[in-house]
Amino acid sequence: MSISISYQPTWLHRINPSFKLLALTALFIGMLFIHNPNFLLYMIIGASALYLFGTGHSWKVIGLLAIPLTIIFLSSSTTMIFFGEGEHTWFKFGLIHITEESFYRGIHLGLRSIVFGLLSLLFALTTRPVYLFYSTMQQLKLKPKYAYSFMAAIRMLPIIVEEFQTLRQAFKVRGVQYSKGIKGMYEKIKLYAIPLLAQSIRRAHRIAVAMEAKQFSKNNKRTFYYHLGYTNKDLLFFLFLLVWLIISYVCSNQFVVFPVEYVR
Amino acid sequence: MYMKKSLTLTDILITIVIAFIFSVIYKLWGPLYSLVGVFGLHVDQLIYGMWFMAATVAFLIIRKPGIALLAELAAAQGEFLFGGQWGISLLLYGLVQGVGCELVFAMYRYKSYRLYVTCLAAVGATIGSLLLDVFYGYIDSLAAWNLTLLIVNRLIGAILITGVFAYYLVEALDKTGVTKAFRPISQDDYQMLEDEVN
Amino acid sequence: MLEVKNLRAKFPISTSLLFKDLSLSINKGEKVLLVGPSGSGKSTLLQIMAGLIPDVIEMPIKAEKLNVSDSYGMVFQDPDAQFCMPYLDEEIAFVLENKKTPQQDMTDLIVHYLDKVGLQLDDQHISIQHLSGGMKQRLAIASVLALEPEVLFLDEPTAMLDQNGTKQVWDTLKKVSEDKTVVIVEHKIDHVLPLVDRVIILDETGAIVADGKPNDIFSRFRSKLYQYGIWYPNIWNDYARQLPDYSHYDNSHQPIITMDSFYGYYQKQKKMHVDDAVIHRGDWLAITGENGSGKSTLMLAMMKLIKTSGEISYFLSDDINTCDYRKMGYVFQNPELQFITNSVHAELEHSLKNSDVPPKRFKDRIEAHLKTYNLYHVKDHHPYQLSVGQKKRLSVATATIADVDILLLDEPTFGQDAKNTFQMLELFEECRKNGITIVMVTHQPEIVELYATKEWRIKDGELMEILDLSRLEENILKDDMYVY
Ligand SMILES: Nc1ncnc2c1ncn2[C@@H]1O[C@H](COP(=O)(O)OP(=O)(O)OP(=O)(O)O)[C@@H](O)[C@H]1O
Ligand SMILES: Nc1ncnc2c1ncn2[C@@H]1O[C@H](COP(=O)(O)OP(=O)(O)OP(=O)(O)O)[C@@H](O)[C@H]1O
Ligand SMILES: [Mg+2]
Ligand SMILES: [Mg+2]
Repeated sequence: MSISISYQPTWLHRINPSFKLLALTALFIGMLFIHNPNFLLYMIIGASALYLFGTGHSWKVIGLLAIPLTIIFLSSSTTMIFFGEGEHTWFKFGLIHITEESFYRGIHLGLRSIVFGLLSLLFALTTRPVYLFYSTMQQLKLKPKYAYSFMAAIRMLPIIVEEFQTLRQAFKVRGVQYSKGIKGMYEKIKLYAIPLLAQSIRRAHRIAVAMEAKQFSKNNKRTFYYHLGYTNKDLLFFLFLLVWLIISYVCSNQFVVFPVEYVR
Repeated sequence: MYMKKSLTLTDILITIVIAFIFSVIYKLWGPLYSLVGVFGLHVDQLIYGMWFMAATVAFLIIRKPGIALLAELAAAQGEFLFGGQWGISLLLYGLVQGVGCELVFAMYRYKSYRLYVTCLAAVGATIGSLLLDVFYGYIDSLAAWNLTLLIVNRLIGAILITGVFAYYLVEALDKTGVTKAFRPISQDDYQMLEDEVN
Repeated sequence: MLEVKNLRAKFPISTSLLFKDLSLSINKGEKVLLVGPSGSGKSTLLQIMAGLIPDVIEMPIKAEKLNVSDSYGMVFQDPDAQFCMPYLDEEIAFVLENKKTPQQDMTDLIVHYLDKVGLQLDDQHISIQHLSGGMKQRLAIASVLALEPEVLFLDEPTAMLDQNGTKQVWDTLKKVSEDKTVVIVEHKIDHVLPLVDRVIILDETGAIVADGKPNDIFSRFRSKLYQYGIWYPNIWNDYARQLPDYSHYDNSHQPIITMDSFYGYYQKQKKMHVDDAVIHRGDWLAITGENGSGKSTLMLAMMKLIKTSGEISYFLSDDINTCDYRKMGYVFQNPELQFITNSVHAELEHSLKNSDVPPKRFKDRIEAHLKTYNLYHVKDHHPYQLSVGQKKRLSVATATIADVDILLLDEPTFGQDAKNTFQMLELFEECRKNGITIVMVTHQPEIVELYATKEWRIKDGELMEILDLSRLEENILKDDMYVY
């Protein structure tokens, strides 16, 4: 959660959050139509550079958050590699059937997950949620009742975590024992989920009442404490993305690493 | 008895909070899910239903149109904000899964809160997620038996977790009495005010 | 002017009316204190007068005349449930935004309102989560003042605060409310009285039984107030007068817990330190100190629920020398989080299952316990559906039903009316007479004075003073009474 970790703000923090969100969403949709793993490979290089040097966070945070990416790479690619369809068989053993096509398709999927993982971490590490929601109200015309609900819910999270810890202590004191296996897991989830949900629902209800008591819904128009407009940083970000895509594209044609261009 | 058309601040805030609690669970769930997934035999799909649970739980609590979709989007947004490893893709998955649930509840005109409807909503969410998987995960290029295994596992998991488990979870929550504050007020209650008091 | 005439209201689940033809009017500029037993409908009445019910909170109500305020501000009881933004400045800005204040004026106004409540800070952009309870309450008042309301509704705004914090908040409120109409609901009324010029008393059925000048009310209705269990000035004197005396205090000087260079940690930081201290069998130990001084931390450390270092030894019955939860009962500050079953009865049964009590004695014991703790009529209710006082009583009951040696209670009487407070204190004293050691965190000096045999004063995470209050051995320990 970027609210509780200290960092040095960089130019990425000053990009308009809605613009950042839309740009990344557009990228996501666009990437669904990229079927060349070489392209993705070069995209990763640019994205990593930005992730490593652009967020202003400590190496520890950057490193810790990057670890799951390797697992993601494996889990997104292995199924396709072992069980995908293809013509040119490399290896066959029982159910496992690795073909050239499925292998590169699997690699492609893994690479794609990593690009997304990097970009999402980049977003999460350089965007203050409060600014994001102010910006979505101002630029994307999100209704205030949604935006402020999100902000209020974020404020409640640390309280929920604290309650979770208290619950754990209380169950220890009261000598709660769980059954083994699936049943125990079900009992455990229920034991924690019910009090946490009940408390949070009640608190959310009270906060909503308190917000209304402060005349939240009385006026349709409102002013804003934070104004989030566009700056030249947004242009910079746009140009970066553009250059990044072009270079990745050119490289993928010039310096071919994977001997396939179309994995679909 | 009438139902307010648009969602109130209270409805929205409660839905988002429920969704955020689930997104914290997702965040903890994510690494486990990936780890199981490495083996490729779709064991992971059995717990995939956890990702749709916010939608059914929130709907069963608030019981209004739009809640399932909002819950699923908010859960995805929450996980995304906390640095969820799946990233932006979550927002789109949240959207299609939420729409899947929402359509099922809409088919029953948001009036049925039965177990089988909840299970159908789980199926709706599964269909939504599978559609996006065709684009994102090329699942149509898997060997036929493997694809079938994936679909069947995900369906079973979703029905059990998103459907059955969510249903009984809300039932248990109803017993605590906290959900009563949001359910529509019956005519009898108003009638009692008119009756003579002695 | 606020006016309700022949108001009827009812909660959807209950079978009876909360208010039956209640009428009340409050003139502009009046300062009114509303008192009544727990559950009499005080909070509900405030919300009706503010117009929150039924606009925001749906609830069947009906009135011949309902003149509610359209310019009001309300301070709620739970400080954690009234803020919607993560930072202090943003919280006040939220109100200013609602009022369509131009952006360029906001920063100055934020400073202005914070000044009014005495929150002078170098940087207004600080996280609300890191504020102390008193600061949170003052922020709540500041953000309500930013509404520039004509009427102020205050629903127990100091319930969570220590004596000092309470006084500061009421001093603040006195300053800012001079030209406003004020309606206050409060249990701890000592600090409130200088502020009000009218007192209204509700009984447990939600009917007005008295209405008038404070002095008049508190002298004329004294016995009634006592009977309803409503706090009034000097109630502790009346209570102490009818208590039996304590000549039966017997301290065997057997230690039950000893500590030596003992530390408690949060996230690897030392948050609490006890240099050298002993709890004796049969003690009633009161732990006192300001908000955030480390009282709860000390209790958690003694229960080994957080990370500790240094030495702590236990001398429990059956020669148990470890921190054994079957022998040590613990009641958390928030009792709701320690319930794990669906009914009051099942809660008690669960406690017994983890004890040495043979199953065939469960039934009798549960029944007896339900009666002692006045919970028999709600034995099949879900624990969450109990009133605040009942919840606390149930959490204590779950801790005492098994044969424990020591009871650790974290603020068991906070937010309760007088009746429930006294009842609970007597239950603890009963336990103590049966040989159970009591360790209790409290903010109320009267409890310490009337019941405690020892007092530990905590300051900034340190056990600063150990006072011996045992009445029999009048200060024989005078010389080594003070550790520091
Ligand atoms: N949401 C609710 N649903 C059903 N009953 C409720 C609800 N809120 C309160 N009640 C009941 O209505 C009655 C009045 O509650 P209210 O909170 O107004 O009391 P109060 O006088 O403010 O008590 P306290 O001093 O404990 O705060 C109580 O009996 C309570 O149990
Ligand atoms: N879970 C936690 N993590 C980190 N610090 C904590 C935690 N809980 C409490 N603290 C800190 O430890 C210190 C002591 O807190 P504690 O809760 O023991 O105070 P207290 O004396 O019980 O106050 P109160 O009268 O408000 O209950 C405070 O500075 C508090 O901020
Ligand atoms: Mg109240
Ligand atoms: Mg405490």
